[in-house]
Amino acid sequence: MAKSGSDSKKTPRNGGPAVPRRRRTTAGVARSERLAASERAAREGSLAEPHEPEVPNLVNWTMDTLAGLAAGTFDGVAPRTLRELEEEVRQKVAQAPMELNSFGYDPWGFNTDVARRTLVVMALMYRYYFRARTYGIENMPEGRVLVIANHAGQIAIDAAMIGTATVLEGNPPRIVRGMGEYWLPTLPLLNVLMVRVGSVVGTPKNAVDLLNHGEAVIAFPEGVRGMNKSFSERYKLKEFGLGFMRLALQTSTPILPVAVIGSEEQAPSFGNFKPLARLLGMPAFPLVITPVPFPVRYHIYFGEPMEFRGNPNDEDQVIEAKVEQVKARIRSMCETGLRQRKSVFF
Amino acid sequence: MERLLITGISGGQGRLVAKRVAREYTISGVDSTRWEGHARDVTFHQADLRSKKVEDIFRRERPTAVVHLGLLRHNFDPELRHDVNVVGTKRLLEYCAAYGVSKLVILSSSYVYGALAESPYYMDEDTALNVSRHYPEIRDLGEVDTLATTFLWRYPAIATAILRPVSTLGYYVHSSIGAYLKLRYVPTVFGFNPMMQFIHEEDVAEAIALALETNARGVFNLVGPGAVPLKVAIRETGGTAVPLLEGVARDVVSRLFRYGLYPFPADAIDFAKYPCTIDGRRFHEATGFKPLFTLEETLRSVRR
Repeated sequence: MAKSGSDSKKTPRNGGPAVPRRRRTTAGVARSERLAASERAAREGSLAEPHEPEVPNLVNWTMDTLAGLAAGTFDGVAPRTLRELEEEVRQKVAQAPMELNSFGYDPWGFNTDVARRTLVVMALMYRYYFRARTYGIENMPEGRVLVIANHAGQIAIDAAMIGTATVLEGNPPRIVRGMGEYWLPTLPLLNVLMVRVGSVVGTPKNAVDLLNHGEAVIAFPEGVRGMNKSFSERYKLKEFGLGFMRLALQTSTPILPVAVIGSEEQAPSFGNFKPLARLLGMPAFPLVITPVPFPVRYHIYFGEPMEFRGNPNDEDQVIEAKVEQVKARIRSMCETGLRQRKSVFF
Repeated sequence: MERLLITGISGGQGRLVAKRVAREYTISGVDSTRWEGHARDVTFHQADLRSKKVEDIFRRERPTAVVHLGLLRHNFDPELRHDVNVVGTKRLLEYCAAYGVSKLVILSSSYVYGALAESPYYMDEDTALNVSRHYPEIRDLGEVDTLATTFLWRYPAIATAILRPVSTLGYYVHSSIGAYLKLRYVPTVFGFNPMMQFIHEEDVAEAIALALETNARGVFNLVGPGAVPLKVAIRETGGTAVPLLEGVARDVVSRLFRYGLYPFPADAIDFAKYPCTIDGRRFHEATGFKPLFTLEETLRSVRR
């Protein structure tokens, strides 16, 4: 059942079925063509037409930029670093194991074009805003895996950073599949984005299906309890839900413990405004001191995979004991990470 | 040759099934609307499934196999369709038990699971039939399905197969989803674009034939070649998606439906918001069914 990353059934994007790709009308391509022309001119000597020097042309530049943006690339307008980042993300996504239909969607609605564009924004935050450092990514096993992490920071940037880390730093790159809150599918636009980048509603059935499909599924057993805790409780792990352990036992999936350092300081909160949360139908309404997350430095520690055996429908007590092992591992990884951290921002 | 009775034979699906199994069965058909120019070897009866005339057909012709397609699937009058579908099916099941039918195929629908925000993807046959929670206008589908499932367990000697196909598309079939996708401007809900599964009408006919052939017994999801977002389906069938804010959409649609100008009630909007995708592995394992038509071919079959 488990399909490993290098399984021939899983087709990487570039070797897969013909997925319609946008034509790239880009300055980059044009430049390389001009370069080829100049090389040809050099070889053929004076018989060839003389090479015209490149003249900056505002009209061409603007059109290239607009065409590039329309096609979802940053060619033309962007500085070189951005273009390189975009290309890097493109290559990494192409290397990630996935199974797309002839329209470019996987059974759960994941789509590489949307995921790639989102990942470029995420990668910018990962590299230049949060300047994330990732440790132990080589612990990521092939095939099915349940990524379990601590949750903090009022909005799920930690999930996005882990997801970006597995694409940018992973070998092979992996798309981690998020398990969304039950109210996310009811939000216009956001529900579509969530699905296109690989997340689904966090029902047990969806998780089991994804794991049996050989995917990397990420879950935060603390849930909103952890994400919306106040600043005074930072890095104190809240109660873990038991569902993830039952899933791991049911599908015999290894658990990859992950500790995220930095998320707690990105948006300190001093309380939860429950009436407003109820009014808006949100799980919580944290009172944060900043509308924009602070540029803290993220440290993401990937621990060694943990294997568990047992009856997935066992009593809560038995499951709790196993969950406690995972929690203890993440807690000790958090402590190590905090001890090694020199500064919140640098 | 065994005798097969097809209810709803004048509809597109009925004609396709009749054509598909013509060589294996002596076919008779019953429908409330006429089938002009039907094949000569098909015995056609014009009758309402609720009428006593149908019992006469069973008494005289003694069919050993029955394919039940005679359900009103989209209709402006929810009360009428509830009566026709539930009472008609109940009577038909009684005749099947009383007149020694040995196999029965009932075409239910994947819509019985309902489109809910919290439903998982790829629901299996044991999932609750939630459609009536938000979409009471088609609760008769759920009731027909439940009637059939009860029948399945009450009469173990009869090979009853209940098929729940995904959205069926094709030239002959007049499905709700087909009518929706054939609109020039297709109203959608702003900010929502659920994954949808489709199956070609001839694949449905093939599945029914396979269920008869293999004496399949049980409840089966029936899936086609895969899933695409709703807006990809609209694009591929040649329509233009018109996203409406949900409040506006509900208001407009419910008014149009009340005046008989638009064929779907407002509650159908949930199917354009949330996915209702099902897992077809059980039927594949039982009968070896595989769809013959690709996603492109299936969608192209209703292209404007």
